Amino acid sequence: MSKFLENTPLLYLDGVSVAFDGFKAINNLSLVVEHGEMRAIIGPNGAGKTTMMDIITGKTRPDHGTVLFEGQDLTLHDEAQIANMGIGRKFQKPTVFENHSIYDNLLLALKGSRNVFQALFSTQSTEQKQRIDEILAVIRLENRRDTLAADLSHGQKQWLEIGMLLAQDPKLLLVDEPVAGMTDAETVETAKLLREISKTRSVVVVEHDMSFIRDLDVKVTCLAEGAVLSEGSLNHVSSDPKVIESYLGR
Amino acid sequence: MITRLLQIAATTLWLLVALSYQTTIAAPANASTSELRQHINALATGKIKDKPRRIEALAQLGSNKAIAALNALIEGRLYSDKASTQVFMKHGDHFVDPLSLTAVNTTSKLKKVKANNKVRRIARAAIARLTLKSPNSEQRLQAVEVMFKAADHKLLPLIDEALEFEKEQEVKQKLLEIRAAITLQNKHASKEAQLEAIGQLRQMGSQQALGKLQAFINNSGASAAALKAADLAIKAIEKSQAIWGVFQNIWYGLSLGSVLLLAAIGLAITFGVMGIINMAHGEMVMLGAYTTFVVQEVIRTSFPGLFEYSLLIALPLAFLVAGAVGFAMERSIIRFLYGRPLETLLATWGVSLVLQQAIRSIFGPTNKEVGNPEWMSGAFELGGLMLTYNRLWILAFSLIVFAGILLVLNRSHFGLQMRAVTQNRRMAASMGIKTPWVDAFTFALGSGIAGIAGVALSQIANVSPNLGQSYIIDSFMVVVFGGVGNLWGTLVGAMSLGVANKFLEPYAGAVLAKILTLVVIILFIQKKPRGLFAQKGRAVEA
Amino acid sequence: MISQALFTRFSLGARVLIISLCVVAILVPAANLLLPPEHFAHVPSHLLPLWGKYLCYAMLALALDLVWGYCGILSLGHGAFFALGGYACGMYLMRQIGPRGVYADPVLPDFMVFLNWQELPWFWQGFDQFWFAMLMVVAVPGLLAFVFGWFAFRSRVTGVYLSIITQALTYALLLAFFRNDMGFGGNNGLTDFKDILGFSLQADTTRASLFAASALLLALVFVVCQFIVSSKLGKLMQAVNHAESRVRFTGYRVEHIKLFAFVVSAMIAGIAGALYVPQVGIINPGEFAPANSIEVVIWTAVGGRGTLLGPIIGALLVNGGKSYFTAAFPEVWLFALGALFVAVTLFLPHGLMGLFKQICTRFNKRSATAAKVTPLMKPEAAE
Ligand SMILES: Nc1ncnc2c1ncn2[C@@H]1O[C@H](COP(=O)(O)OP(=O)(O)OP(=O)(O)O)[C@@H](O)[C@H]1O
Ligand SMILES: [Mg+2]
Repeated sequence: MSKFLENTPLLYLDGVSVAFDGFKAINNLSLVVEHGEMRAIIGPNGAGKTTMMDIITGKTRPDHGTVLFEGQDLTLHDEAQIANMGIGRKFQKPTVFENHSIYDNLLLALKGSRNVFQALFSTQSTEQKQRIDEILAVIRLENRRDTLAADLSHGQKQWLEIGMLLAQDPKLLLVDEPVAGMTDAETVETAKLLREISKTRSVVVVEHDMSFIRDLDVKVTCLAEGAVLSEGSLNHVSSDPKVIESYLGR
Repeated sequence: MITRLLQIAATTLWLLVALSYQTTIAAPANASTSELRQHINALATGKIKDKPRRIEALAQLGSNKAIAALNALIEGRLYSDKASTQVFMKHGDHFVDPLSLTAVNTTSKLKKVKANNKVRRIARAAIARLTLKSPNSEQRLQAVEVMFKAADHKLLPLIDEALEFEKEQEVKQKLLEIRAAITLQNKHASKEAQLEAIGQLRQMGSQQALGKLQAFINNSGASAAALKAADLAIKAIEKSQAIWGVFQNIWYGLSLGSVLLLAAIGLAITFGVMGIINMAHGEMVMLGAYTTFVVQEVIRTSFPGLFEYSLLIALPLAFLVAGAVGFAMERSIIRFLYGRPLETLLATWGVSLVLQQAIRSIFGPTNKEVGNPEWMSGAFELGGLMLTYNRLWILAFSLIVFAGILLVLNRSHFGLQMRAVTQNRRMAASMGIKTPWVDAFTFALGSGIAGIAGVALSQIANVSPNLGQSYIIDSFMVVVFGGVGNLWGTLVGAMSLGVANKFLEPYAGAVLAKILTLVVIILFIQKKPRGLFAQKGRAVEA
Repeated sequence: MISQALFTRFSLGARVLIISLCVVAILVPAANLLLPPEHFAHVPSHLLPLWGKYLCYAMLALALDLVWGYCGILSLGHGAFFALGGYACGMYLMRQIGPRGVYADPVLPDFMVFLNWQELPWFWQGFDQFWFAMLMVVAVPGLLAFVFGWFAFRSRVTGVYLSIITQALTYALLLAFFRNDMGFGGNNGLTDFKDILGFSLQADTTRASLFAASALLLALVFVVCQFIVSSKLGKLMQAVNHAESRVRFTGYRVEHIKLFAFVVSAMIAGIAGALYVPQVGIINPGEFAPANSIEVVIWTAVGGRGTLLGPIIGALLVNGGKSYFTAAFPEVWLFALGALFVAVTLFLPHGLMGLFKQICTRFNKRSATAAKVTPLMKPEAAE
């Protein structure tokens, strides 16, 4: 069994299509992400990158195709189940619990029981507190722990969201445009953070910022019109004439 | 015993027919009133064996004004005044003149005019002849229908006589049917005659025919073949009646649907297009109804001649009144609440309370009388359907309003701006569209339509301060069921809710039917949270 | 230990409220029963049920706040749960009348005799037992909320759609309870109660006890609500309010969270209804009217939703105002209520509690911790 698990890729998409009112947002898309791999995904606006994440996380149901996570069919599960299977997702627009403190944001995201009644009577263990402190240190918000999330800057919210994903301790992290609206310095820091994270889990990053992708230095997939246009190292992809044509421009 | 009862029924019905003649038709030109009176008075004179001759003579005049007197003779209600030789009819406990049918005060002693069976039979024949010879085919038809209810074999010769000279196809058909009914009642009729009669009744297909066939099956020892034919005929009639029943229900449903549509179109604009929950929408409808009331009041006191046009005058006024209130509401309250739908709901609810109370303070809490113009009253029959004019007009009107709105939204410049603003406010603003004004006018349009709906509703509903409240939940249901942001959905939603409601009513009763439709919608929304014609896309998911 | 843990969860305002409710529960009945009528602090008997009614309304507003203020579910049908609790209690009180009814039937309530019913319908069985009736007071609203919420939340009916169908729910119940053959007294509802647990409802002592019970139960419900909202689940409820999809992608079942809040809230509303009925002496289908449910919303909004203190203050203030206005200027009341709806939504989106906080912050501007008012509506990011 374990042998089987090792051989199956972590995430496996094959022949996935989805159409909205006849418009094919994803068209026969295939993608494989291995255990521990970090993958960067680029592509023009409307290429279907976010939609692909919607499909993986159960927000959108594909019309056709296979979506497997550790060999399990994701199309049979809903968002909460998929999240509990070990897939975390950062939204394109930072989404945190604005009316809670940073600490509470992390507390709610922390790995553990998702049962309603247990949540009613739950108390925090010292372990949990420690873990939250660790994450706070990683996302550089140690001394803002009691600040309301609503009061954070855009970049800080992005980081808090990543922190919440870390707290969830997923096997696969889907990150949609993590550095949009960040300064160059912040971008570099984020790249560092993601590389750090990818040591212990698989990460899929969607980004338009080419220097950021370069910083990540991982395998790149270029999507266009809902299908894979090119795949390989950044140099390989960026020299692909099809990619230049449809995305990078001459 | 039963035949006796039927006879009584028949004669009273004849009387009714006769009465209606006298009020509607001028007497045939060939008989003058004095001549008639002379002959009627003659009925009281002479021996009993002279009477048939006198009756014949009276009937010869061909005036159906004589029917009442003949009837009275048959029923023993004809009295004569010995002194003046005048004849009167007893009507209840007083006496009336046989021609003018006005009450008369006689103090002198009156004597009942005698009649025996032969006299009665001849009088009855005369009546039938007179009625069936009425020049008006409508009247003849009515007479025949009356006869049908009390079909009696004694009428058979009359019917045969009438059949001889009847030209009108419809009346002829009816007469044949009566013949059939009478034949079925006659136990000694031949099998062939019975079968033919059954066939005719089957063709007739009415409730009455059904009754006759039922009676035939129940109380005759007829041949198996005849019974079988009757049974089949009953089944066929019931089937066709069920089909007409379905159509009647559809009609009632569409009629209810048209009311719902009228109430909901405005809401579909404010809620569907703008995303505003206007809980005061019902009050806009109410304002429209009250505008109609005021218009009619003014007409009644100052220009009585214009009453027929009161609704046409009220329509634009109601649109303006409700539209203006809506405009004011948008400018003063709603524009501060865009993007906060739940808050809008509460604020507009507050406005609805204020409007209700305002109307109550001005006009009082009781129902106001709003009249129907001539062209809105009455009914007509179409096949097996009964259609009333006001419902028909409202159905037509709702469709016209619907088409108008569709045109405004899809074809006009204003509609284009409106769609632009709802789809992307900021982009529209940067294109030079004055978005605040578009908002205000869109809201005013939705409210104005509600006002127009109020004019229509004033014709079929009670005009009171609570008028709006009784429609608001239903209209929300229509919009939600049909799918927000889609006018066609509103149309389909309104009509299907109306029809569903009316189809449930016969089984469940009006209240339970309503409860059931509500429950069904609640369940439906679980299945399709965005309604029948859902808008798709990312924007609606936020 | 647990009580201490509980107590640390309470703010100053909450402690003041709990203590004053307990004090009121003792003092007001005492002032009614012990003081002579001419004493200046004597509470006349007719005020007890009136004030008790306000406390029931406060409890109802609290129930609504749990779903609306914390979970973001604007229910326009909470009056239905209130009325159902009320009917359950009313059925107990009807059965207590026994042979003292107009028709003197030992078992059947008067309206059933009037309708020529021969025996008690099955759903009236057991209501002669107090414990059973009290069980139904929470079970029936809870079950209805569970079934309704199960369907609605599972299929993700949210926002105004949910509001509209909750309104349809209470409207459907209104129509249903108006029917005579439903077996709940139709138009007239249930009334002419005689006694509760053997004590006459007319007696001052019974009224005083009912008032005290209302105050104490309100305090208890408040403590329970406080416990819920300050637990992790309470935080999740607020999280659902602001970023539902984030909660879902974090692995929680949003529908379970909402369902929990909705059912608990409906049960509280049922308890409020059950306390209300013996004090006002009647329950009829009018309680299901959609307008009633919307009025509860305004109490909550006036006090400040998303706080537990707010709805209680709002309910007491608005109802006190209503009693005053309807007596002094009956014409004006609806104008005032309507204006209140508009004014609160426009100028006081956080209610009196929000206003109070704002004033506090302004005073403490120099001090370091500025208590921020949480934004009420944050459009949720969909992606
Ligand atoms: N729910 C939906 N309904 C209709 N169309 C949709 C929906 N979701 C996505 N689309 C369409 O699918 C296409 C792909 O969108 P997607 O958001 O996946 O692009 P993207 O690659 O993430 O673009 P960007 O780089 O701008 O984020 C777009 O044209 C979008 O309009
Ligand atoms: Mg995207």
